[in-house]
Amino acid sequence: MIDDSASDQPTMIEFKRVNKRYGDFDALVDINAQVRKGEVVVVCGPSGSGKSTLIRTVNRLEEIQSGELLFDGQNVHAKMTSKTLNRLRSRIGFVFQSFNLFPHLSALDNIMLSPLRLRGLPVAEAHDKAMLLLDRVGLASKAHSFPAQLSGGQQQRVAIARALAMEPPAMLFDEPTSALDPEMVGEVLAVMRSLASDGMTMMCVTHEMAFAREVADRVWFMDAGRILSMAEPKSFFSNPEHPRAQRFLADLRDR
Amino acid sequence: MLAQIFSIIQDDWLLLLIGQYPNGPLGGIAATLLLSVLGIALAFPLSVVVALARLSPWLMLRAPATALVYIMRGVPLLMIIFWGYFLVPLVIGTVVPGFVTMVVALVIYEAAFLSEIVRAGIQALPRGQMDAARALGHSHIGAMRYVILPQAIYNMTPSLLSQFVSTIKETTLGYVINVPELTFAANQINNRLLTKPFEVFALLAAIYFVVCWSLTQLANWLERRVAAKRAGKGGAHAPVNNGTPLAAEP
Repeated sequence: MIDDSASDQPTMIEFKRVNKRYGDFDALVDINAQVRKGEVVVVCGPSGSGKSTLIRTVNRLEEIQSGELLFDGQNVHAKMTSKTLNRLRSRIGFVFQSFNLFPHLSALDNIMLSPLRLRGLPVAEAHDKAMLLLDRVGLASKAHSFPAQLSGGQQQRVAIARALAMEPPAMLFDEPTSALDPEMVGEVLAVMRSLASDGMTMMCVTHEMAFAREVADRVWFMDAGRILSMAEPKSFFSNPEHPRAQRFLADLRDR
Repeated sequence: MLAQIFSIIQDDWLLLLIGQYPNGPLGGIAATLLLSVLGIALAFPLSVVVALARLSPWLMLRAPATALVYIMRGVPLLMIIFWGYFLVPLVIGTVVPGFVTMVVALVIYEAAFLSEIVRAGIQALPRGQMDAARALGHSHIGAMRYVILPQAIYNMTPSLLSQFVSTIKETTLGYVINVPELTFAANQINNRLLTKPFEVFALLAAIYFVVCWSLTQLANWLERRVAAKRAGKGGAHAPVNNGTPLAAEP
């Protein structure tokens, strides 16, 4: 493994010898890695390589068997009260492959729910903030639409706005465009790109190699539960060091 | 025969409708509906608690809830009514009116069945809903309250209404502990007329059928509406994008 990006930013997410098993299956093996503040890391690799598992351990949607995982200095997998864990999770934005908007709430109410219920924000303030966020993802006109009335791309943009509503210092994206029709991928990536340029710390599991090339500070390549390489996109794409990564990129090109 | 049925309606419609009220206890269809509404209305909140306990990771909650459901599913309602009728007054030392015994028996029995409906509704939702709520920082209870239950209960409305229909039919068992509901009223009429059991009970069946059939039609209609809404056709709350804030549905 190469790379230590010469950034002097503090570490936002740190994996220290993280291991996870499902029964006999090693889902994550000795993960050691850091995401610095303001950094955009793209995690790629063949399916089943542990990318989604990796990203889901960061906000503890998945438990780990050993190792340590620090988020903004806080040990995510330490013994803690559920209240502490809930507060910690509210500081980690998470975007799902399948959007997971709440179908019984309008786009606006999806975004307002957590600030209202978790932060106790006054309704007017939560409303104004949600409208700003909807505007930011280009959907202010859809505030009162229900998820079923929105396209996949629109739903995912609302989901990003919903995650941003808790003002998280970092955002995790778990294959945010994989469930979208091709013509809707662009609008979601555009929102992610603008987040990145605003300095958001981001960890993205994605197969969008153009996005990785353009936006990522580093690309982590995973296979069989291990991070095989961490490199700047330029060197990862032009000169992949690991033979498995070479094969992966060749397969992508052949598609 | 039809003429005789009409003459029974003509003579005794008030008895069939409200029993001997206001000169006696409320009876007839009014009592039947009151028993059913009370039974379901009180059983419903209890059933949500039982369903949540059934799904709880804690054995302390799960075990008693599961036991309650299995016992109620394995025992006829009539046994519950008899236990309440004969045993409870001995235990608490006072007389319990039949109406109260009947309501309590219905509530316990229906809570067990409704809880299975609610549990199915919760489990039918995609796992991502709970994940998304938890990822935002909501507690398990918070996620249930704001995200899972509103959807589950909305989707389950047709089943809940069907359960209400079976409750109406179950209230006939109140007859055996002298609760003056519709069947009781019909039997009073039969005892008085003596020679027209067929007409009286045909009328009784027709009344139950009309009430239950109407409600079943309503349940079917609701079911179609819920299905349309789930398929994303707008359906019930078809919100038009005209800038009017729409209340979140239940």
